[in-house]
Amino acid sequence: MQRAIEEAGIPTIIIAALPPVVRQTGTPRAVAPLVPMGANAGGPHNVEQQTQIVKAALENLVEIQTPGKIVPLPFEYVAKL
Amino acid sequence: MSLTAIKGLQSEIFVPITPPSVWTPVTKEIKDMSIALATAAGVHKKDQERFNLAGDFTWRKIENTVPSDQLMVSHGGYDNGDVNKDINCMFPIDRIHELAAEGYIRACAPVHAGFMGGGGNQEKFKNETGPAIAQMFKEEDVDAVLLTAG
Repeated sequence: MQRAIEEAGIPTIIIAALPPVVRQTGTPRAVAPLVPMGANAGGPHNVEQQTQIVKAALENLVEIQTPGKIVPLPFEYVAKL
Repeated sequence: MSLTAIKGLQSEIFVPITPPSVWTPVTKEIKDMSIALATAAGVHKKDQERFNLAGDFTWRKIENTVPSDQLMVSHGGYDNGDVNKDINCMFPIDRIHELAAEGYIRACAPVHAGFMGGGGNQEKFKNETGPAIAQMFKEEDVDAVLLTAG
């Protein structure tokens, strides 16, 4: 999906919980907060964390200059099981 | 010494090859961008058809005006617990509305896209679903797309 959108001429960034998976699919730009799959953009109702992750993703959209780069983000959410 | 024991032997295990990245340069500042969301998390409007959990290459258009409490998830490939409590965990629609209101981004795109990743007909995704979603964003003058998946 990310590839198709880039091919259409629109830059993208993906928020990934599983960095090896997006590396495998050839992502152009990614950020990887410390989150479980299912809460990529932060913990439920954690507005502050979700905002931090979305802002960091947009900042890295502009900053990443190397195709395939995955930037780890220092935001952590551990799901309560 | 040759490392080939048997000529022409091929692995029976499917080994995916990482394709080179497709890259479109960013030309605008964040504050000048119209941002769209696209998620593989199976997000759709409550009144839209659910995804087939066994694999589904279709996608759902989500207008930017849809309140977040009218959205839901159908996806069989991950723990839906968090996203059922708060759709913003995978589809941070309320967050980008706030960022647009405070001027951090120029605007939210008029439309967003939900689909179900983690399986399904990959050829259809590559040749039909992906280009269709990209075309919609192109027509709506989207400057950049924020995805959640993987």
